[in-house]
Amino acid sequence: MAHIPEGVLTAPVLIAGGLVSVGLLAVALRRLDYDHLPRAAVLSAALFVSSLISVPLGPTSVHLLLNGLMGLLLGWTAVPAILVALALQAAFFGFGGPLVLGVNTLNMALPALVCALVLAPALGRARPARRAWIGFGAGVLGVMLTGGLVAATLALSGEPFRPAAQVLLLTYPPLALVEGLVTATIVGFLQRVAPEMLSTGASAHV
Amino acid sequence: MSRTSPVWFLLLALMSQPALAHKLKVFAQTEGDWIRGRAYFVGGAGASGARVEVQDSEGRVLAELTPADDGSFAYRALAPVEHRLVARTGDGHSAQWTIAGETLQGAFSPPADPSDDSGPPPTQPSADAPAPTAPLDHAPVASQTIDPALIGAIEQALARQTHPLAERLNALEERVRFQDVLGGIGYILGLTGLALWWRCRRAGERA
Repeated sequence: MAHIPEGVLTAPVLIAGGLVSVGLLAVALRRLDYDHLPRAAVLSAALFVSSLISVPLGPTSVHLLLNGLMGLLLGWTAVPAILVALALQAAFFGFGGPLVLGVNTLNMALPALVCALVLAPALGRARPARRAWIGFGAGVLGVMLTGGLVAATLALSGEPFRPAAQVLLLTYPPLALVEGLVTATIVGFLQRVAPEMLSTGASAHV
Repeated sequence: MSRTSPVWFLLLALMSQPALAHKLKVFAQTEGDWIRGRAYFVGGAGASGARVEVQDSEGRVLAELTPADDGSFAYRALAPVEHRLVARTGDGHSAQWTIAGETLQGAFSPPADPSDDSGPPPTQPSADAPAPTAPLDHAPVASQTIDPALIGAIEQALARQTHPLAERLNALEERVRFQDVLGGIGYILGLTGLALWWRCRRAGERA
């Protein structure tokens, strides 16, 4: 899934993924809004823990990705937040590994950035009642884009594309639905307790 | 109530130990000339939909197995060589386990003995042993060569007994521990603190 283990991808894919991730990280650090760091830390910790609650589904096991939510709430800051969470998962749990960290970060962070650029401005403008729906869209978009990127990186490394695509097509839509519902719930919750996080914070730092 | 729900969610996540973690593992052991094993996700769920490839040490594919519902599989080795078991779920999970050639040696030690196929009953007469009865109670057994079929049987029985233990040990090793989760969260908080300190320092220099 989002954690591609060591030894599956080929060197060019690893290097390219690493370089793009470093580039994204450089941009993200330049645009870093320090006032959002505590928020980023909380979401990074949530991502770190969320991979422990995984559900066996079909031939594989899936867990929440939360990258749509991170994109919505953090903007560019999502990139370092995701990198830190993935690095710690690799160190503590053995998910992924140091060599594939770049590719795994890219697969998670790019969808988050898409959510940040496409959906976060809409979130700021939307009427409060509709914000949960945008959260739902972010959850679905984050999961589906990550699934597409994982399939693409596997295909680029010469893994047989068809079985991978089949597994992803089977497991990602249900996960996307659940992820969408969770993201919508969280956005709805924030709308009730801290609406300023959604209206000003989200779009200002994109 | 709703204000505390994220806290409850986090607590629930931390309490659900051993959590069903998200890493594919494959484990196997020999029983005679059979290689029995299991592909599973750390935490216990069998990876029933995975494919398990049996390779030799050069990476040639000897067989491709489909695990049962609980992730278990079995393969009958044809030669006492190194076997590599590679499990894949198709979406990027993969895991490996290596069976050394020596562990299969017992089953293959009498290469010219055709009676090995039928499984060795302990009372089976052998050309080396003069007495047709079981040599177990005989003290001077060490002076003569022990029936290789008997060794095979002992190894097989031992493997059957230790298999669950070894599998459990292997799974325990990978279990996600509570202190790992807390440690990771601590790292995240520490890094955040470091970044905030850095910002404060720079702000102080500018002022």
